[in-house]
Amino acid sequence: MQITDPGGIEALHRLKATDPRLPLNPSLSATARAASRYLFSSLRPFTLKSPFDQLLVDGFDAEQIWQQIDLQSQPLLASLHRRVKQLEKNPEEVSKLKTVLGKGEKKVVEEMKEESEGLDEDSDDFDEDDEEDEDEEGEGKENEKVGLENVDEDQEDGGDSGESDSEEDNAEGGGGIEDQFLKIKDMQEFLEDGENEGRGLKKDNKMKKGGRFDEEGTEDEEEEDDDEENENDEEDDDEDDELGDFALEDDEDEENARYEDFYGAKQKKGSKKKVKFIDGSEGSDTGDEQDDKPFSSQKQETISTHEKQLEKQRSKIERMEKANMEPKNWTMQGEVTGPKRPKNSALEVDLDFEHNKRILEGHFDDVQRALRLPSKAPREIKELDENKSKKGLAEIYEEEYAQKTNLASAPLTFKDEQKKEASMLFKKLCLKLDALSHFHFTPKPVIEEMSIQANVPALAMEEIAPVAVSDAAMLAPEEVFTGKGDIKVETELTQAERKRRRANKKRKFKAGEAKRTPKKARESALPNPADGTKR
Amino acid sequence: MRCHDGRVQFRKVTVPPHRYSPLKKAWMDIYTPIYEQMKIDVRMNLKARKVELKTRSDTPDISNLQKCADFVHAFMLGFDVIDAIALLRLDELYVESFEIKDVKTLRGEHLSRAIGRLSGKGGKTKFAIENATKTRIVIADTKIHILGSFNHIKIARDSLCSLILGSPAGKVYSKLRAVTARLSEMF
Repeated sequence: MQITDPGGIEALHRLKATDPRLPLNPSLSATARAASRYLFSSLRPFTLKSPFDQLLVDGFDAEQIWQQIDLQSQPLLASLHRRVKQLEKNPEEVSKLKTVLGKGEKKVVEEMKEESEGLDEDSDDFDEDDEEDEDEEGEGKENEKVGLENVDEDQEDGGDSGESDSEEDNAEGGGGIEDQFLKIKDMQEFLEDGENEGRGLKKDNKMKKGGRFDEEGTEDEEEEDDDEENENDEEDDDEDDELGDFALEDDEDEENARYEDFYGAKQKKGSKKKVKFIDGSEGSDTGDEQDDKPFSSQKQETISTHEKQLEKQRSKIERMEKANMEPKNWTMQGEVTGPKRPKNSALEVDLDFEHNKRILEGHFDDVQRALRLPSKAPREIKELDENKSKKGLAEIYEEEYAQKTNLASAPLTFKDEQKKEASMLFKKLCLKLDALSHFHFTPKPVIEEMSIQANVPALAMEEIAPVAVSDAAMLAPEEVFTGKGDIKVETELTQAERKRRRANKKRKFKAGEAKRTPKKARESALPNPADGTKR
Repeated sequence: MRCHDGRVQFRKVTVPPHRYSPLKKAWMDIYTPIYEQMKIDVRMNLKARKVELKTRSDTPDISNLQKCADFVHAFMLGFDVIDAIALLRLDELYVESFEIKDVKTLRGEHLSRAIGRLSGKGGKTKFAIENATKTRIVIADTKIHILGSFNHIKIARDSLCSLILGSPAGKVYSKLRAVTARLSEMF
């Protein structure tokens, strides 16, 4: 730990001297880093919990540097607050401190060294004993009281005040009341410095801030690292301002934090001390581990509720995982035959007998298919005729052309013909039904067709369909009988009439024979030469 | 009206051996429309196995000769006379020929199966395409000939190609239906 670092001091002075309105340059950032490092190391003896021995600036960006500073300064500020409040409450102690402050250098230095060593040893025992608060609080209060006034003024610049403290500690000696923790000289110096340099320091701070703001302005000249640093610095400045506003309201910290947090319990649990000391020395420079140290000390003594919960959960998870890994119970397996399960185990298990009843009823949990209502009328599907077309290609195109020019009516497609036939059949059926019912009379459609008229007696026709069919369609009397032919029966005939009939018959027969004979002559003529017989 | 430049022009159409006897049977049906209506002289050169066509003095248009030649050629490809006659009567009918190997290289059994797919059972697939697209199709081993108007030939060709490439007949039918419905709607 370098308390007097000439290079650092120089850097600090240079920073103070720079005009904030000047343009940025990389050297300024290097200066700033050196200055910060110097301040940090000056404050180091007062920061008891800090894991850093030195501010690490090489290769770190502004955010990381600031975090280190923050880690150091936060607890320091808190402790200072507390001390100041204590002193506020007990103004007598302030006077005590003042008397003590007139001692020599060496003692202070020695005491500081002792203090720093003691602090190192006890740094990890802070949170152990809450029970011994009352004894040690008094001492802590004294310290805090001294720092109170200064804290009010120098909230933003803990580093600077620390620096001034360290400088003047060397000059003065300690008083009789002082012990390893209480350095009255330090306190007095702190008070004085706070009064004198508060404003000056503030100016410095402002300059620094201004410098940072200016650095932000010209980005082109800076490297990327510097840009980041500058932007982060601005953020840091904002945070500083906030701290300044709320620094006085640190009551919460005060109540929670105790004397032991900073000065540790007196000779308690030596073994643990050693363990913790080793842990502390091995700890790396991360804030996380610093937090872990007090926590680990807590675990072994009193397990917090959170820890207990975690433990429970973990054990539960382990149990469940173990159970999953094992082979399942036979009831949980799918199909289990008799040999696979232990004997008579099915009797013990309460099987779901409701199944059988449901199967019998047919009461299954099947998903019912939701019926879709026909939204549109089904389109007419054109049937593909798979037979060889009877028309030639030319005819097809002919018809198409004719259709286009409307010369001829469109030829009926196969479907149309079927439709026609179907409609005809239906009409016939309807007609017959209407005739039977006698109610709604529709006359038979007159279709010019050739049909055979049956000479059915009119009486029979009238009975079945009296209205629909009239006897006018029947054969007329002259169609039934003209008057030619034999009217009288043979028994009625006289002799002369009988002879006349026979004569007529003969005449007809002879006339018929005369026609037939030339045909016979022709037919018989051909085979004659074959026979060789003459007729 | 004389021929174009007063000269007599010839066309000669070779008769493949498998069309020789059908030609003999249908000779009068071929001869009559060519000679009577188109006014083109036609004769069969038995030695060379060619049908020879010649313009006459009273041939109205030189294109008649070409039409007749196309008609005879269509018959030689395998089309029926009644279908081929359409070539004489309508101007905008064409014959397109392609081979199965133009579409997809198939060998042995695959080729046989493809041909079977094209025709269908009893030729029903082929007839279905013919009726739907108003074309006539001849499948001669690996050669396919389509007779019809330009658009219809295209549709028929697409259907046949998809059959060659392996799609089932049902799929081709559904596509055909859609296309022909659209075609018929246009008129």
